[in-house]
Amino acid sequence: MEGLFFNVNNGYTEGIVRGYRNGLLTSANYSNLTQCETIDDLKLQLGPAYGDFLGSLAPNPSTSALAAKTTDKLVSEFRYVRANATGSLGKFMDYVTYGYMIDNVALLITGTLHERDTRELLERCHPLGWFETMPVLCVATNIEELYNSVLIETPLAPYFKGSLSHQDLDELNIEIVRNTLYKNYLEDFYQFVNSHPEMAGTPTAEVMSEILEFEADRRAINITLNSLGTELNKGDRKKLYPSFGKLYPEGTLMLSRADDFEGSRTTRASLMPQGLGGGPSGPGNMAGGSGGHDSRSLEDMFYEKEMQISKNAFTRQFTFAIVYAWVKLREQEIRNITWIAECIAQNQKERIGNYISVF
Amino acid sequence: MASTADYKDRQFLAVIGDEDSVTGLLLAGIGHVTDPPDSQKNFLVVDNKTETSAIEAAFESFTEQRKDIGIVLINQHIAEKIRHRIDTYTAAFPTVLEIPSKEHPYDPEKDSVLRRVRRLFGE
Amino acid sequence: MSGAGDREAVFPTRQSLGLMKSKLKGAETGHSLLKRKSEALTKRFREITRRIDEAKRKMGRVMQVAAFSLAEVSYAVGGDIGYQIQESARQARFRLRTKQENVSGVLLPAFESYQTEGNNDFGLTGLGKGGQQVQRCRETYARAVETLVELASLQTAFVILDEVIKVVNRRDINSELDELDREEFYRLKKVANKKQRDTAAADAELKKKMQAEDKNSRSGGGAAADILAENEDDDVIF
Repeated sequence: MEGLFFNVNNGYTEGIVRGYRNGLLTSANYSNLTQCETIDDLKLQLGPAYGDFLGSLAPNPSTSALAAKTTDKLVSEFRYVRANATGSLGKFMDYVTYGYMIDNVALLITGTLHERDTRELLERCHPLGWFETMPVLCVATNIEELYNSVLIETPLAPYFKGSLSHQDLDELNIEIVRNTLYKNYLEDFYQFVNSHPEMAGTPTAEVMSEILEFEADRRAINITLNSLGTELNKGDRKKLYPSFGKLYPEGTLMLSRADDFEGSRTTRASLMPQGLGGGPSGPGNMAGGSGGHDSRSLEDMFYEKEMQISKNAFTRQFTFAIVYAWVKLREQEIRNITWIAECIAQNQKERIGNYISVF
Repeated sequence: MASTADYKDRQFLAVIGDEDSVTGLLLAGIGHVTDPPDSQKNFLVVDNKTETSAIEAAFESFTEQRKDIGIVLINQHIAEKIRHRIDTYTAAFPTVLEIPSKEHPYDPEKDSVLRRVRRLFGE
Repeated sequence: MSGAGDREAVFPTRQSLGLMKSKLKGAETGHSLLKRKSEALTKRFREITRRIDEAKRKMGRVMQVAAFSLAEVSYAVGGDIGYQIQESARQARFRLRTKQENVSGVLLPAFESYQTEGNNDFGLTGLGKGGQQVQRCRETYARAVETLVELASLQTAFVILDEVIKVVNRRDINSELDELDREEFYRLKKVANKKQRDTAAADAELKKKMQAEDKNSRSGGGAAADILAENEDDDVIF
């Protein structure tokens, strides 16, 4: 039933996005990339996929310049799709950008707190999280002004209200502010896809719920692991867990009680169905060595899982979720390219295979 | 020669480097900002927009004005920009150390101290 | 070098010959002591320069590993954390302490690194994503900075020793000592020579006087002035 009118409004954008998905690098492409000796070689290999965007790069560019250009391509494609999206798809895509917006606002808060010229920060902001009124935020000279402008000028206002006061911005660690906002954002997004009349009960709600639940679980676990042994106490930690997802509520309750790595591991083992339960013996094992043959870290596994979900999203019809999935797939591709470029630039070829190829 | 007063209060490191070098060294925990109102940082991020005069000013501040810095780390490719200053810097405290950066591996031929070593032994 | 002004007054006696001999011996012993000190310092100096060379090479490797761990952070966080880190820096966790080492009477300071407990400006960085990599990178860089501190100690020792050796071992001191040696010999020889020359001169003078007396009867006081000059010369020498 939902498919009946889907193409009237969204057929074109869906076609475009599926086209973009077909343009993603394949494992054959990656294996060519890893053979490169210099960044220039790499640039050449990326020619078919990124041609126009890499053209303006100086010979043997820095890896950060390369990453910036590959991100530019994602941004320009995203903007094109957004410009063609109408109605609820447009709203959906706006929701996708809120995550980046949170990072940008966190950046501006940091700058304002330290009395930096926030205008200089604009170029450091993620372009996908750019909103028209962002320069207005830079006028703020103190944190209270900034707080008020954020409430008035940005779509993030609901995420601040009730959770964070302007004193909080001053006193709390910026990471806690960021993660509080992100928790509220995920809950709102989840609520949005499951309650919007055009999305509730459709494949969009179904696929997005899976993706967002995974994201919520991932954050809960990451926050637990990363806060062990820091000043973040269990009570405050619990406040950062999103209140949905496969771990919620029993798993997050158990996580909130975990004192050490083993404690959180048991929780994961007993509750997570995605095969992530056990995980490697140590967190963040990317540096290899201690993990023996399995040099993947928990974070790597999360990324792999995310890619798997994103890839599967394309097997569904009539769903907005492919837009979200495409953005995630492209971000992974950019991370992969940056990783390979770093390995080449820093002459660390033995680790070059540590990327995630999806197709 | 070096009297005790010369170095006993020198408990910090300072760094002049590109963004990645500074980020890494700050992560190691060398970053320090002195108390307000006269807040002074012990690090300077240099990108391609940074004026040479700003680098010189930071170098002077770390080596001459501040008495709490024991070691000044500077990326070698940035040291190149103010090479004359580093070549003529002979004080024992603070020590100026040229370090490599991600994009510019260490080249012993350019290092002011190593060149002095070579000259001394006539190599 | 040693101007006439510094010249020691030596009276040509057996006693002063002995005195001069013992002075020479003293100078020689002093010289050899200084030479030994300078050798000890130079040995240390060479050792340090060799270690600087090694340490600088090691630094290249260590910093490379560290830089790569930062690449892992970017991969895990999926973005740039530079600004966040720069703004979060408050209190240095990694600090220096200096201790001293005595090498042949020269105090060489050495840096020692230590980490203060409790204050970690970056404990929560990457809380939602990448935090483990951030902490790993932090440790890698802390180890790298330890290597840098070791190198800085060597380099400080190098700069100080370089200065000290220049003073102890200064070429003009060496040559000054040699010059003094030569001078002592020269003077002692002179004492002997002068005695011979004196008697010869006295004889010659006697003859001259006798001749002059003959001439004086014919041409007035010119020769008398000459004689005066000769006498004066003698006075200057002894």
